Amino acid sequence: MEAALKAIAEPRRRAILGLVREDELSAGEIASHFDVTRPAVSQHLNVLKEAGLVSERRNGTRRLYRARPEGLVELRDFLEGFWDVRLEALKREAEKEERKKHGRSH
Amino acid sequence: MDAVTDTAVYERTIGIDASPETVWEFFVDPQKLMRWMGIDAELDPRAGGIYRCNVIPGNTARGEFVEVDKPHRVVFTWGWDGNDTLPPGSSTVEVELTPEGDGTALRFVHRDLTTEQAASHAKGWDHYLARLEIAAGGGSPGDDPWVTNAPSM
Repeated sequence: MEAALKAIAEPRRRAILGLVREDELSAGEIASHFDVTRPAVSQHLNVLKEAGLVSERRNGTRRLYRARPEGLVELRDFLEGFWDVRLEALKREAEKEERKKHGRSH
Repeated sequence: MDAVTDTAVYERTIGIDASPETVWEFFVDPQKLMRWMGIDAELDPRAGGIYRCNVIPGNTARGEFVEVDKPHRVVFTWGWDGNDTLPPGSSTVEVELTPEGDGTALRFVHRDLTTEQAASHAKGWDHYLARLEIAAGGGSPGDDPWVTNAPSM
């Protein structure tokens, strides 16, 4: 989970994920969309791959990359947890506050 | 234009054993907000007033209040400082408080506003990234792996 969060924290990697959401592309094709070096793109792809967000397939001498939606499921669940966790804390604190207001009655 | 209508990012209704008046304060009073979210906050709860919450170090949510109807409904925009995908003010949080017995039914909706973006991309993908964005910006409370550079798993 940390690896995936770290991976998408970088804007360029999010842009790469967007590019390979439907199309399977080589690192060179991906690099052509950005003003960055090919090695930089390869490095981003490695981070995405290790985080399970992108899959790599060899086709002859080419390596093709594509987004791995199933790898994002855990992140989605985590995101839902962002507000879930906070709303739980809100509920706890608001109820504590309410008891404080009514002091002796509870 | 499916993506345009499919803009809800997160929606929950929870019951709280506290009056709407009590719950309300937790959205408009910085000291109370920080009891459930963030380490620093600046709130000016009137239409156009600032909404800023440093959720965790290096991740500040910023927007402005849109509707303030005490203690029924509060709407504010939401985004992350320094973040292109979900910039400050780019999404909207709506909170509705309805009396329910001695307590409150709280309906919480985090709505994405980047419909133009969404429409120009594959259905749902932008929303999906926006959702992930929140996770990326928020992390788990007190834990911010990429800011603290903790080794990844």
